[in-house]
Amino acid sequence: MNIDLSPEALEYGGLVKRALESAGGDGLLRTFESEPERRDGVISPVLGELGAWDLDPRGSGDELEAAAALCRAVGYWAVAYPVAERLCRSATLESDGLVVVADVAPAAAIGGSDLRWAAVTLDGRRSLVTACPLVESPRTSAFVARLMLEPLDDDGADDVVLGVLLPCWTLLGMLDRALDLVRAYVLERQQFGQPLAAFQGVQFQLTDAEVERAGLEELAKYALWSVESAQPASLRDALAVRVAAIEAADTVFRVAHQLHGAIGFCDETTLSWISRYSGPLRRLPFGLSETLHQLSNRTRRDGLPGVFSGGQGQ
Amino acid sequence: MTSPPPPDPEPFRAEVREWCRTHVPTGWRDAQTGVSDEEFVSFQKQWFGELREAGYAVPHWPLAWGGGLSVGEQIVLYQELAAHDAPRLVLAFVAIHHAASTLLAAGTDEQRARHLPAILDGEIWVQGFSEPDAGSDLASLRTAARREGDAYVVNGQKLWASGAKYAGWCLLLARTDPGAPKRHGISYFLLDMRSQGVEVRPIRQATGESHFSEIFLNDVEIPATHLIGPENGGWQVAQATLSAERGMTMLELAERLGHAGFTWLLDACRRPNAEGLRPIDDSLVLDRLAGFETEIAGLRAMCRSLAVRHETGHVGPADASVVKLYYSELLQRMTNFGADVAGLAGSTRIIKPMSSGWESGAWVLDFIGSWEWTIPGGTSEIQRTIIAERALQMPRA
Repeated sequence: MNIDLSPEALEYGGLVKRALESAGGDGLLRTFESEPERRDGVISPVLGELGAWDLDPRGSGDELEAAAALCRAVGYWAVAYPVAERLCRSATLESDGLVVVADVAPAAAIGGSDLRWAAVTLDGRRSLVTACPLVESPRTSAFVARLMLEPLDDDGADDVVLGVLLPCWTLLGMLDRALDLVRAYVLERQQFGQPLAAFQGVQFQLTDAEVERAGLEELAKYALWSVESAQPASLRDALAVRVAAIEAADTVFRVAHQLHGAIGFCDETTLSWISRYSGPLRRLPFGLSETLHQLSNRTRRDGLPGVFSGGQGQ
Repeated sequence: MTSPPPPDPEPFRAEVREWCRTHVPTGWRDAQTGVSDEEFVSFQKQWFGELREAGYAVPHWPLAWGGGLSVGEQIVLYQELAAHDAPRLVLAFVAIHHAASTLLAAGTDEQRARHLPAILDGEIWVQGFSEPDAGSDLASLRTAARREGDAYVVNGQKLWASGAKYAGWCLLLARTDPGAPKRHGISYFLLDMRSQGVEVRPIRQATGESHFSEIFLNDVEIPATHLIGPENGGWQVAQATLSAERGMTMLELAERLGHAGFTWLLDACRRPNAEGLRPIDDSLVLDRLAGFETEIAGLRAMCRSLAVRHETGHVGPADASVVKLYYSELLQRMTNFGADVAGLAGSTRIIKPMSSGWESGAWVLDFIGSWEWTIPGGTSEIQRTIIAERALQMPRA
């Protein structure tokens, strides 16, 4: 079992990261919050030139890995554009993207998008989506819109796994960034005549956050392998990644905010923006307790082979 | 061991209850949601005035200045105000606690006579301590005050001043002896915010609010009579008054958390979610609630004991840090849990009534707000250092 991303996928992720930086980097999110209608016009062509919309993550392992690397790069700049959701569009539906929704009160961060959307529940029930107009500014809504669903069929079992997994790669990219930011901050910020980073109490907090982030990364790669090799447990693996992603996000952002001090809650810092726009990824389609509930229900029934069983899943 | 406080003064409780029934404005939460700054200030002043008339605004002050309630009576007062969901005195907080305790401990008779009655009349104060490069390491502050005749001329910048845009006066720390070791060259001033050269710029927070501000001081003249405590003795004044004071402010916050915050949390857990299920029917939720209830009981006991020791002059060197650390991290966990319980609905309606406490039931904002407790006023890291060095006698790092 090789769970590492291919060198090509890693290179592609790096390319996307640099392209988004050239297109505005941190300024993108700031622009989109005040001018939401510009999102598609800016992001679609930048990623389109890199072939993002031609990727078929369901088609081959290479493309799946490239898609994961792409989502991670998009998360790094927190561009608040539904890239993962576009990439995991269903192969069998006429739509531009797919979101996983809860059974009640469906919502997704696709507000203000003109694309055609489909939705799927964990049980594979698929619908066509009409997103309600955003009533609140992105500043408080983070582009989360209520969805009106027009039921289609129950054939979404093949769609849902990527719908759960790829957004976790976006969140992983956000955690990469949050750690980069806090690391740079504690190295630069001087108090008591030395950088904060010189205090062991600060180092320990940072290492706790990094351990969480690194653990998530390994699990996310494993789940990608699970999808790639069509393991029967791939949905359970994707849900396990989601649990790890939410928990890691809690720890990483908590540490990043505490070590930034008050400035971390002000929009002068990028952390404030990343933290705010991580919200929908952590809460939708459902938060930690419901994700755990869904995972444990399925695990009780079918087991969870996990990383160390040599891939002999049920 | 300290002696326990006297039993509940029941007649006093009945009096406060009756007063709350007739005075706590009904529907104030709705009325204070989304209001302008002017309406917020006006409401706060009016509520402060009502409490003052009843003798409840500054219960912890000495009798001669308008206070004089025993610790037991203060606890009853705070319990009943919380239980009746009374608005909090958020705007007067620095004035009635930090400014008053500083004036009482280190002020001259003239300074007390000038400011304590004015505070009772609604004078609003702000704390001007932190600077861009002096946060946890407060003693490295660089705002400079230079003596010129009968005045000091002050230049510098202060940061994270909560409520500065409303304040008439500021508790200011500034360096008066640049050559002295850093804790020994600082003086403590009372700064009139209307002085020429004072500029306040609100800072926009992640939540969209501007709860705190930067204060720019450009050749601001402070009369020498507004120095509090000895010149270059400001650090000692600030340390002595603020850490002791913390115990008294915590008394109110602990009772508020127990009687209002926890009630709000229970309400949230009893409310059916989108699927019609009540979180409280889940045993995991019950476990968490029981855990919080236990911790709140501990916090309240700790605060009560600290207040008694404060009154009798037996406060240990790290007691206030222990309480702040305990409260702040409990508040953070509780509001985080509230945000979990509130679910998606709680995350999409991000608005909180002004004049409410740290736990308002708008859990996501409450959770974000709870970080004001682990960062300002000495971060949790600083509190742990104080506890290690002063209480546990560990070597200085």
